[in-house]
Amino acid sequence: MSKIICSAAIRGAHKIVERAESKYQEAMEKWGPDQELGFPNTAYYLPIIYGISGIAVKKLSDVKQVLERCRSLLPAQVDEHVWLPYLAPALEAGMATFFAEEIIEAIRYIESPDFYTKTEDPSNGNLWLGAADDVILRKRGVEFVDGTAPGFAAVLGAPPTKEIAVQIAQELQEKNLYVFMGAEHEGRTMSEQLVEAGVQVGWGTRLVSFGPEYTATIFAMGFATRAAMSFGGVKPGDFKSNLLYNKDRIFAFAMPMGTVTDEWYANAAGAINWGFPTIADTPIPEVLPTGICTYEHVVSNVPHDELVTRAIEVRGLKVTVAKVPIPVSYGPAFEGERVRKDDLYLECGGGKTRAVEWATTKDMDEVEDGKIELFGPDVDDVEPGARLPLAIVAEVAGRKMQEDFEPILERQIHHFVNYAQGLMHIGQRDIAWIRMSKAAAGKGLQLKHIGDILHAKFHQDFGAIFDKVQVKLYTEEDKVNEILQKARQAYGHRDTRIEGMTDETTETFYSCTLCQSFAPNHVCIISPERTGLCGAYNWMDCKASNEINPTGPNQPVEKGECLDPKLGQWKGCNAFLYKASRQALDHYNFYTIVHDPMTTCGCCECIAAILPICNGVMTVDRDYPGMTPCGMKFTTLAGTIGGGASVPGFVGHGKYNITQRKWILGDGGIKRLVWMPKRLKEEIGDRLTKRAEEMGIPDLLDKIADETVGVTEEEILPFLEEKGHPALSMDPLLE
Amino acid sequence: MALEIPKMSYNGVIKEIPLGKEANPVIVGGETSYPFYLFEGEMPHPPKIAMEVYDAPPEEWAQAALEPFADVINDPAAWAQKCVSSYGAEMVALQLASTDPNAQDNSGEHAVEVTKKVAAAIDVPLIVLGSNNLEKDTEVLKMVAEACAEERLILGPVTEGNYKALGAASLAYHHTIAAGTPIDINQAKQLNILLGNLGVPDERIMVDPTVASLGYGLEYCYSVMERDRMAALTQEDERLQFPIVCNLAKEVWKTKEAKLTEQEAPLLGDPLKRGVLLEAMTALLLLLAGGDILIMRHPDAVQLVRGFMDDLMAN
Repeated sequence: MSKIICSAAIRGAHKIVERAESKYQEAMEKWGPDQELGFPNTAYYLPIIYGISGIAVKKLSDVKQVLERCRSLLPAQVDEHVWLPYLAPALEAGMATFFAEEIIEAIRYIESPDFYTKTEDPSNGNLWLGAADDVILRKRGVEFVDGTAPGFAAVLGAPPTKEIAVQIAQELQEKNLYVFMGAEHEGRTMSEQLVEAGVQVGWGTRLVSFGPEYTATIFAMGFATRAAMSFGGVKPGDFKSNLLYNKDRIFAFAMPMGTVTDEWYANAAGAINWGFPTIADTPIPEVLPTGICTYEHVVSNVPHDELVTRAIEVRGLKVTVAKVPIPVSYGPAFEGERVRKDDLYLECGGGKTRAVEWATTKDMDEVEDGKIELFGPDVDDVEPGARLPLAIVAEVAGRKMQEDFEPILERQIHHFVNYAQGLMHIGQRDIAWIRMSKAAAGKGLQLKHIGDILHAKFHQDFGAIFDKVQVKLYTEEDKVNEILQKARQAYGHRDTRIEGMTDETTETFYSCTLCQSFAPNHVCIISPERTGLCGAYNWMDCKASNEINPTGPNQPVEKGECLDPKLGQWKGCNAFLYKASRQALDHYNFYTIVHDPMTTCGCCECIAAILPICNGVMTVDRDYPGMTPCGMKFTTLAGTIGGGASVPGFVGHGKYNITQRKWILGDGGIKRLVWMPKRLKEEIGDRLTKRAEEMGIPDLLDKIADETVGVTEEEILPFLEEKGHPALSMDPLLE
Repeated sequence: MALEIPKMSYNGVIKEIPLGKEANPVIVGGETSYPFYLFEGEMPHPPKIAMEVYDAPPEEWAQAALEPFADVINDPAAWAQKCVSSYGAEMVALQLASTDPNAQDNSGEHAVEVTKKVAAAIDVPLIVLGSNNLEKDTEVLKMVAEACAEERLILGPVTEGNYKALGAASLAYHHTIAAGTPIDINQAKQLNILLGNLGVPDERIMVDPTVASLGYGLEYCYSVMERDRMAALTQEDERLQFPIVCNLAKEVWKTKEAKLTEQEAPLLGDPLKRGVLLEAMTALLLLLAGGDILIMRHPDAVQLVRGFMDDLMAN
C-alpha cells in the first residue's frame, strides 16, 4: 500500500482517536459513567463496535474499554525512514478510526439531542438524518439482500458545483445504489448542494444525508455492519465473517470529493476492511493491486463525469437492464415469426447483400457500456423493400471476459434479434440474414435498436461473464467489407483453437446433469473431444454455463490421473461419476462402444450400435424414422439404452462428435463406421471426409452404406465387401 | 437358521425445522429412514396435516368440499379456528387465491389484513401461500412478510424467480420458506443451494416439490419425492435434506372427478365419498413418498389419513 496513504491514514486515525478520548473525558465529567449511550431504536448498540469487537456499549463507562481497544489497534506514526509494507497497520488504524467516530457520534446524541432528525426524511428544516434505526435497516436492508439495491456510495465532501452533484446523484440512483452522504469540503456538503438544486433527499429517494461531518461515515459503515448481523446471521464480534459478508455481498465504495485530509484517509482505510474501495476525484496516490477489496483499493483523479462508471467497475458491480428498450414487442414468442417478401421493409444479408456479426473482446477502457453507434443509413433513410449491407460488432469487456466466451455471446445474437416482433434472423457469422417487416418499421424500429437489444439481453442473460458491451453497426459497403475481413480472421482463429484443443492437454472437463430430472443416474462428462451427446453443449458452453451459474448442472470435473488412454478413462471423472450418479456407476470410458461406454440420458442426437457380422458400427440420428441394420429403430434404441445405463455395444453421441478425433477411437474410430442414414451422411459429409483423410482413407464416405443400400446386416455386407470397407479387415470388434 | 431381514443403511438425516410461534413450536422433519420404515430408523416428528383456509369465499367448489365450511367461508379467521378446534388441524394453510390477477386480483393490503386476522385467531403454525403468479406473489408475500413480522409464517411458493426478494424478506422478518419447484429434483436442489447462498439458514427452508392429484400425474410427483428422499437419506445429498410440503388439496378438488355431481356422473357414485377418497388416497400416497406436511381440505379425508398414519406409526 502506498506509503503516503498509509502515513496519512495513520496520522488521521491518531487525531480521531484523540478527539474521541477528549470527548469521552468531557462527557464523563458532565454526565458520569452511568449515562446511557447509543443510537436511537436499535438492538445493535454502537453497531461497528458491536459487530466487530462484540462489545455492547450501553453506558458511557463502556466506552473506556473500546478506547483501550482503539489504542491497541493504533499503529505508531510512520517514520520517514521505515520502508515496511503498511497495509496491515493502515487497516488497523482505519478500524480504530471507526470505533472512535462511533463514540464521537454517540456522545453527540447526548450533547445535542436535536442534531439529527431520527427520521427517514429531513424534517423541520433539519437535513441531517443520523443513524438509521432498525426499522429502516430492515426495510432497506431487504433491498440489499434481494439485489434491488446492490450497494451504496459513501460520499465524503462535495463536488465543485451543485450541477455536478445532481448529475452524480442521478447516475448513482440509476444504478439503484444508495448514496450515503457525509463530510464537508470547503464548507460545502453534497447533501446541501442537492437540496439547493431542488432534489429531494432522504431514505425515500435513496439520497441519504447522514451528517455534515466526516464522522458521519460511520452511519454508512454501521448500516453495512448491521446488515451482516441482521441478514447474514453473523454473530457480534465475528469480525471476519462480517467483513467478508460485506465484501462479497454489499457493493459499496467510498467516493471522496475534494481535498483528502488525513481524517478522510483514515476513513478510507477503514472502509477497505469491509472490501469497499475508494474512488477519488483528486490526484491522490493510487493503490491498485488486488488484496482486501475484490479489485483495486484506491483509484484517483477520476473526472466527475466518469466517477460513477469507474466506481462501479472498481467495485465489480454488475449492470442490470430490466427491459429491452425498443418500440416493438419483445420475447421468445416472436422467435419463430417469419417476415415474408410482401411484408418486407428492409433486408440485410441472405445472399443479396453482405451481413456479418461478430462479438469481440476489448480492454475495459475501450468500451463504454451501452454505447450504440450506427455508421451509414438506417431504416428511416431507405425506401420500403430496400437492401443494405450490415455488420454488427459487439465489443465486450469484462474482468471475467475470455476470448472463449465470444462465440457463445455471438451465437445468441440469432435468438435475441429474433425475439423482436417484426425482425427475422437466420444464420450466423458471415452468413447472417436479417429481415424487418413494414409493421415494425412503422412502429419506429431502427437497425440501431439491434444494439439496444444486444446490450440489454447480454446483460440479462450473460452478465456473469462480462461487464460492459458497446455495439457498432455498419451499413456502408466498404466498412462492412472491412469488418468482414476482420471477423473472418477471428472465426478462423477460433475454429483452430477449438479444433486444436485435445482431451490430453485439458485438465478440467465439465459435467452435465441437466437430464437427471428424468434420468436420475445419468451423468454426462463433456471433454473438448467428446462434445455433449445432445449436441447442445460443447466443452466451451459448459465452461461458460458454469461461470454464469456456478451452482447449476455444469460443474468442473478435474479429470485426474489417466487410467486408460486408449478407451478414455480418468480417475477424477470416475470419482465424480460415482458421486453424481448416486453410486449407481463407478466408471465409464469416453472413447468406446464396447467396454463400459458412457451412459446416455436419452436425449442423444445419435445412437451407435455394433454390427457384429460387418465387424463394424452403425449410427442413426433422431430424425431417421426407418429400420436400421441392428434391427431396431432409433426410438427403440433410445428406449433401450436411455435412462443412464452403460450398455456395452451401444452408445449415445452427438452428430458433431462423429467427426471429432476421439469418436470410439478405442475401438478403431471412424474406420468402424459401416452404416448411417443418407441424410446424416450428407449433413456431416464434408467434415467426415476431412477426418477420413486424416485417417488415411479419403474415400471412406463412399464406403459407408445407408438405407438405400439396405437396412439389415445381410443386405449391406456385400456392399461393404465390394467397396473394400476398412472395418472388414480390422481386428475383431468383439474379442 | 433364523431369517435375518437385511436393513438399509442410511447416512443422512432430514433437518428438523421448528415452525410457528417461538414459545410453542411445531417441529417437522428429523427422519432417519424412508417414510414409516420404523424398523430401519426413526420418525421423531410424524407428518403434520395443515388444513386449508381461503382468503375469499371460494367459487366453483364441489358441494362436498364446501359443505363442512358453509358457515365460515366468508370469514377466514373463523374458518381457521374451525379447522383447529373442530377438526384438529395441526397447522393452517392460508391460500391467497383471490390475489391472482386472473381471479379477483385482490390487493396485497387485502392479503395482509386477512393474514393478520387468521394469524391472530390461531395458535398453530400458519402457512401462507400465494396464487402461483410469480409477480403478484412476490409483491403480496413481501408485504405479508413485512406486516406480519413476528408471526413466523411459512411463506410459499418461493421460486427461482422470486427467491431473492422473498428470501430477503424472510430473513428480515423471521419467516420460513416453502421453496417451490416444478416437479424437478435438480431444480429443487438448486433452489435450496441458492437460498443458502442468499443467507437463509437451513432451519428456515422446506421443499415444495409441486404435487398432483391421483389420476393426474401423481406417479411422477411420487417418483420425484422418492428420489428426493433417496438422495437425502442414502446419498449424502445435503442440499435435499429438508422436510417436504405437499400442497395437494387444491389439486385434488379441481379435478373433474372431484367436482362432478351425481346427476352429471351417476356411474361415479356418491360425490362426497368420491371427493373425500380422492383426497385421502392422494394424501396417503404422498405420505408414503416422504411428505412431512400435507395441506388438505375435507375433514373426512383428514380423518382417514390421520387414522392411517396412526396405524403406520404404531407398528
